[in-house]
Amino acid sequence: MIEVKGLTRTFAARRGLLGRGSVHALRGIDVTIPDHGAVSVIGESGCGKTTLGRILCGLESFDGGDVIIDGESLSALKPKDRAPFHRKIQMIHQDPYSALNPTRTIGQILADPLSLRGRQLDADRKWLEARRAELLGLVGLDPDYVLPRYPHMLSGGMRQRVVIARALTVDPDVLVADEAVSMIDVSLRLGILQLLRDLRDRVGVSVLFITHDVATARYVGDNSDLYVLYRGTVIEHGPADTVIQRPAHPYTQCLLSAIPVLRGIELPGPDRVVPNGPLDERQEPPGCLFEPRCPFAEADCRAGAPALALRGDATQLHACLHPALRSVVAVPASRS
Amino acid sequence: MTNSTAVSITDLGVSFPTSSGPAHAVAGVSLDLPRGQITGLVGESGSGKSTLALSLLNAVPAPGSVTSGSVEIDGVGDVLTLKGSALRKTRGAKIGYVFQASQNSLNPLKPVGKQLLDLGRSHGVRDRRDLLHRARLLVEEMGLDAERVLASYQHELSGGMRQRVGIVFALVLNAHVLILDEPTTALDMLSQASVLEIVQKVHSERGLTTLIISHDVGVIGDIADRMAVMYAGRIVEEGPTPSVLASPWHPYTRALLTAMPRITGDVSAAKQLPGRPPDLSSIPRAGCVFAPRCALAEDACTETEPENTFLADHRFACFVTARETAKETTA
Repeated sequence: MIEVKGLTRTFAARRGLLGRGSVHALRGIDVTIPDHGAVSVIGESGCGKTTLGRILCGLESFDGGDVIIDGESLSALKPKDRAPFHRKIQMIHQDPYSALNPTRTIGQILADPLSLRGRQLDADRKWLEARRAELLGLVGLDPDYVLPRYPHMLSGGMRQRVVIARALTVDPDVLVADEAVSMIDVSLRLGILQLLRDLRDRVGVSVLFITHDVATARYVGDNSDLYVLYRGTVIEHGPADTVIQRPAHPYTQCLLSAIPVLRGIELPGPDRVVPNGPLDERQEPPGCLFEPRCPFAEADCRAGAPALALRGDATQLHACLHPALRSVVAVPASRS
Repeated sequence: MTNSTAVSITDLGVSFPTSSGPAHAVAGVSLDLPRGQITGLVGESGSGKSTLALSLLNAVPAPGSVTSGSVEIDGVGDVLTLKGSALRKTRGAKIGYVFQASQNSLNPLKPVGKQLLDLGRSHGVRDRRDLLHRARLLVEEMGLDAERVLASYQHELSGGMRQRVGIVFALVLNAHVLILDEPTTALDMLSQASVLEIVQKVHSERGLTTLIISHDVGVIGDIADRMAVMYAGRIVEEGPTPSVLASPWHPYTRALLTAMPRITGDVSAAKQLPGRPPDLSSIPRAGCVFAPRCALAEDACTETEPENTFLADHRFACFVTARETAKETTA
C-alpha cells in the first residue's frame, strides 16, 4: 500500500520581465493507493496530476509531506536509499512512440531491465528468455512476432503493450499510467484499458491512472477510487461511479459537463455547469481556489479554503462549503 | 454541385509512391459539404483524413499527388486545377485552414499581431488598420483580450488560446469555408469544450461552411451536423450525425462506437476492435478495406469493393448490412 500524506511541491517560475513567482504544483494532498487497487486522478492541465505521478516514481523530488510505501517513510530515507522503493512504482508514459528506443529491437528493450533483475535474483539467461516471453504473453503480444521487431514496425497499441511489459520486468507493485491511452487509436484504446484491469487481477499490481478524460477512468476497474485535483489540491474524492453520477464540487461538475455529448444517442445532463472563464494561475485567491471561476460562489467562499469533508447529502469527500449534488454527465437518449 | 453545397469533392484519389507501387491514401472519395453546416470527418491515424483535408487546399505534400477527381469550392472552382498565385490567393482568403497542432504553428520569434500583418501583406491587403480591426473583433468574439493577445508571443498564450489564435488567422481574411484539423487534440476537457463552443459560435454567426476533422468520435458527435467515417482512405459511412450514431450501418462504425470509452452506459459492454488500423502498406488491394477486421465478413467482401447503399441522406458501403436494410424495409 502507498500512502501520500500532505505532499507539497512548489516550482520556482519566472513571471514576465519583473520578479519571480512560484507555481504550487501540489499543495498538500493525501492519496491512498491500496494493494491491487485502482485509483484515478483527474483534473485539467496544470492541476498537479503529472507531478504526483512523477514524485511517486522518483522522477521528481517533493518539498513537504511524505510518501509511505509499505510502511516505510520516504522522507526518512536518504535520496540514494529511496531507489528500491521507487522501483516498486513504474511509469507508463503517454507517448509510446517516444518511450521506446527506435534503434533497438523489442527483444533488446526488454532484455536490459530483465538482466538487471536477473542479477538481483541470481537467475541465468534461460530465466531471462522465459520471463521475457511470459511478460509479452501477459500483455497480449506474440513473442515470436514482436521480439525481433523494432518499435516503428508496431502499431501504437502494440507499442504501449511493450511499454507495459517493460514496466513489469522489475515486478512493480504499482503502475502509474499518465495519460497512457490518449495517444492510442480509439479502436485500440479499450484493449489497453482492459489490459490494465486484467493485470490487477493476474499480477496483482495496483494502477494509478492519471487522465483528463474522465470516461476512460471508468474502465480501469469497477471499484476504482477517483480523486479530482484542482491547482494542487484534492477537491473531491470518492468511488468513481458516485463522483461521476452525483458530483458534489462545482469544479468536478464543470469537468464532467465538458465531456462531449453524442448527438442522437445521448442527451446533455440536466444540470450542466460551465466555469466563469479559464484558469488564471497568477491569481491566488484567499479562500477557495476555485471561487473566482465558480458560478455558485458565495461571500464566505472567499474567507478561507474549505477542507475535504462530508457535507450535505454527498457521500463522497469534497472541499466545497455549499455542495449540491448535480447530474451533469450525458444520459442515454431513449431510442424512439 | 447544387446550390446548397459549398464544397463538393468528387471521386478524389491521392496516392504516395512506395517501393511496392503506389499507395492510395485517399481512394475514390466523394463528399459534399452542405452550405452553412458543420461536417465532421472521423477516422483513426492513417485513415487519410488529413490528406483529404489538405487536398481541399490543393496542398498534398510531395511525394504524394492527386491522381483523380475534383474539389469544387463555391466561388473558386476546382481547386485542384489552380496553380501559382491564384492558388496562393485562394488559400486563406476563401478557405480558412486551422492546422493540426496549430497551437505549435505560430512563429515563436514574432508577436501574434506582427504575424497577422505578415498574413495581410502576403495576401496584398492594403488597409492594414482594417485588418487589425477585424482581427481584434474576432479575438474578442472568442472571449480573449485582443490587445493582450496581439501583443503576445506564442509562449505567453495557453494551448487553448493558441488554438483560438489559429482560428482567427483562418478567418481574418473572411474565408467562407473553414477547415479544422484535429482542433482539440492535446487540449484538456475544459479547453476542448470552450474551443468547440467557439467554433460553433463563429460558424453560425458568420454563416460558414465548416469541416472538422478528428480521431475522437465524441468531438464530432458533439458538434457536427453531418458526419463521415473514414477508414483506409475511403468514406465508409456518411450521414446526419444523430442518424449515424443512433443507427450505424457500417460494421466499422458499429465497432468504433462499441470500442469507445463512454461516460454513460455499461462498462463491460465495451469491446475492443480486433486487429490494427491499416497503414498505407497494409491496405487490402481488393475487396472491402475493412474485411480483415470485420466480424461480418464473407467471401464476397474480399473480392469486390462494396458500393454505397443509400437510405435517404445516409450512405454506407457494406454488402452484408445492405441486406439487413432490405429486410427491414420489406418487413
